[in-house]
Amino acid sequence: MQNPSLEKAKGYWIGRFKAMASPCEILLEVKKAGEARQLVQLASEEALRVERKFSRYRQDNLIYQINQAQGQPVKVDTETAFLLDYAQQCYEMSEGLFDITSGVLREIWHFDGSDHIPAAAAVAALLPRVGWNKLKWQRPFLTVPAGMEIDLGGIGKEYAVDRTAQQLQQHTDASLLINYGGDLVATGARRDGSGWLVGVEDPQHAVSSPGAKQTAKTQYELVRGGIATSGDARRYLLKDGVRYSHILEPRNGWPVSNAPHSVTVAAGTCTEAGILATLAMLHGEAAEEFLQQQEVTYWCVR
Amino acid sequence: MQLKKPKSIRSALAVATCSMLSGVSHHATAESTPWEFDTALLYYAESDADNDRVTVVEPVIRARKEIADEEFLTFRFVFDSLTGASANGATPQNTPQTFTTPSGESTYTTNANQTPLDPSFHDARGAINAEWELPLSRLTKGIFSANFSQEYDYTSMGLAATLSRDFNNRNTTLTGGLSYNADTVRPVGGAPEGLSPMPTTTAVKKTTIGSDLDKNVADLLVGVTQVINRNTLMQLNFSYGMDDGYLSDPYKIFSVVDNTGSLVGTDPYLFEKRPDSRARQAIYWQTVHQFTKDVINFSYRYYWDDWGIASHTLDLKYRAELGRGHYLEPQLRYYTQSKADFYYFDTPDGSTLSYASADYRLGDLDTSTIGLKYGITQDDNSEFAIRAAMYTQSSGGDAPFPDVTANIIQFNYSFNF
Repeated sequence: MQNPSLEKAKGYWIGRFKAMASPCEILLEVKKAGEARQLVQLASEEALRVERKFSRYRQDNLIYQINQAQGQPVKVDTETAFLLDYAQQCYEMSEGLFDITSGVLREIWHFDGSDHIPAAAAVAALLPRVGWNKLKWQRPFLTVPAGMEIDLGGIGKEYAVDRTAQQLQQHTDASLLINYGGDLVATGARRDGSGWLVGVEDPQHAVSSPGAKQTAKTQYELVRGGIATSGDARRYLLKDGVRYSHILEPRNGWPVSNAPHSVTVAAGTCTEAGILATLAMLHGEAAEEFLQQQEVTYWCVR
Repeated sequence: MQLKKPKSIRSALAVATCSMLSGVSHHATAESTPWEFDTALLYYAESDADNDRVTVVEPVIRARKEIADEEFLTFRFVFDSLTGASANGATPQNTPQTFTTPSGESTYTTNANQTPLDPSFHDARGAINAEWELPLSRLTKGIFSANFSQEYDYTSMGLAATLSRDFNNRNTTLTGGLSYNADTVRPVGGAPEGLSPMPTTTAVKKTTIGSDLDKNVADLLVGVTQVINRNTLMQLNFSYGMDDGYLSDPYKIFSVVDNTGSLVGTDPYLFEKRPDSRARQAIYWQTVHQFTKDVINFSYRYYWDDWGIASHTLDLKYRAELGRGHYLEPQLRYYTQSKADFYYFDTPDGSTLSYASADYRLGDLDTSTIGLKYGITQDDNSEFAIRAAMYTQSSGGDAPFPDVTANIIQFNYSFNF
């Protein structure tokens, strides 16, 4: 699907496009098709922009330049600077669990459902190349030592959702739901005062929180705020009866044991929800305990 | 392995996320950052006990824009308009004195016991300066600028480059700069030959050495700025400058007197003559300290050159925050200068001089300025300020020139567009 598509639903419009390897959907409570089309166009441009700018799979962006700089400082633009500041804050408040330099671990960990577990020595040999604290970040210059790399993919999609919401809200007061592959945000009450109904996988651990009320078992009414999911779906390794999740602990280089299958979190913004869901996964066995500590609405699938 | 009890990071995370998203949004919304405008209008009126002298009206517009991260373009436009009378250098006498104007086409007469002032003094100057500031590497910044100014008898063109580099966790900045100006002087009626007589009647023409004369000015600056602590910043600069070319003032003369102190009968006024080169040096030290809110700014400058002039400048400003964006800033400035080796307010007849000038600006001189500024800053980053100051100037030694005082009023308005 090259151009965004637009479909009329009862009382709102649905725009669809593909970006960041995910189906993207915008629900808009606007009256005119022209306005809806314009907003969806804007949304798809923003999603593709964020993807192009921050994808580590491209060779034409700043992330590639940074990762190829061989220890030389690279000057970054203001948007990237804000994201790096944020990544640093997340690294610090999670005591190193959230780390945008952990991507190099994928050189030895291939989560293909097989039983290929790397040797402990290989993991240990990789660890000197992981750790945000080994980078030098002095706005606007980032120095990544040779052999290390950064990947903002861990927050990219959620960030794109929040940025799109911000952008569209500059053009409309209508209620919107922005959903990029299951990471989503709602911008406020609809005309009748209700929220958007969002399907979540397992609502049995739902805890109600202000701003959003629980409705049905599989439906959550989101008025304002973000929801994001972190999960290992079909990405794991299985050896000697031990299931290794694809969630890697950046501090020791090994998969987190007893991580939930998936964690969905509702929070003020999609980005926050995404960070909390990722951190919950990284807490493994203690995922629920971590989430309870945060006093957020969450759904944890084991 | 997570053994510690998880802690709550939710509120810290909410704050971090919010500031990240709003930071990006703010930056993106202002997709192109605004032009910052500073506008000012200065009014300066000078007088001595007997006469009104020079009046200057000077509007200034400065526009600055961040064209990329940490990269700025700045343009500055100045327009000066000077009217009134300026001392021509001759000493007061107990008889009226008659002089020719620079064009040589008319004369003017000064009453007995009054300072001779050239009433034909009028000028308008337009100047433009463009500056490009950009980061050259993580710790290095460059500033490149070009300037042009034009008066009816003077043109100046210049280029400058400054490099600065941060050290010591950005607590220390070293700066080095070079500038070069190529100026052209086109005196009204031609440039008089130094030490040649000024005609006292329009029937006689002055001896000239040309109508287009060059002057070159080169400056070198090295400096260090040091963060002393969170509230204190110190700066120390040294500058060295070289001027060469036509450095005399084509409109200044001096009086020649006999051994009784009276003007000599023939050729009582000679055109001044200064050396055709000058080496200048200066040391500048500045300290800025911020109290809880108020800021004190103190600077001292010592200047000396090979013409024999040495000067001290002390400047003190205190900005008192009155709350809700209002502030008051009193200022005191004191300047004292010792004369150039070839400064004589008058010259005995028969002296053999290589150079001579009676320009008060080269003589012993003390000036002081006392001022007060009141400003209001608003939420939209605009600021309005008004400054009133009084300036007094007295020629030291036994020079027979009266004190000059000046009133200064300045309006400033800054805004983003």
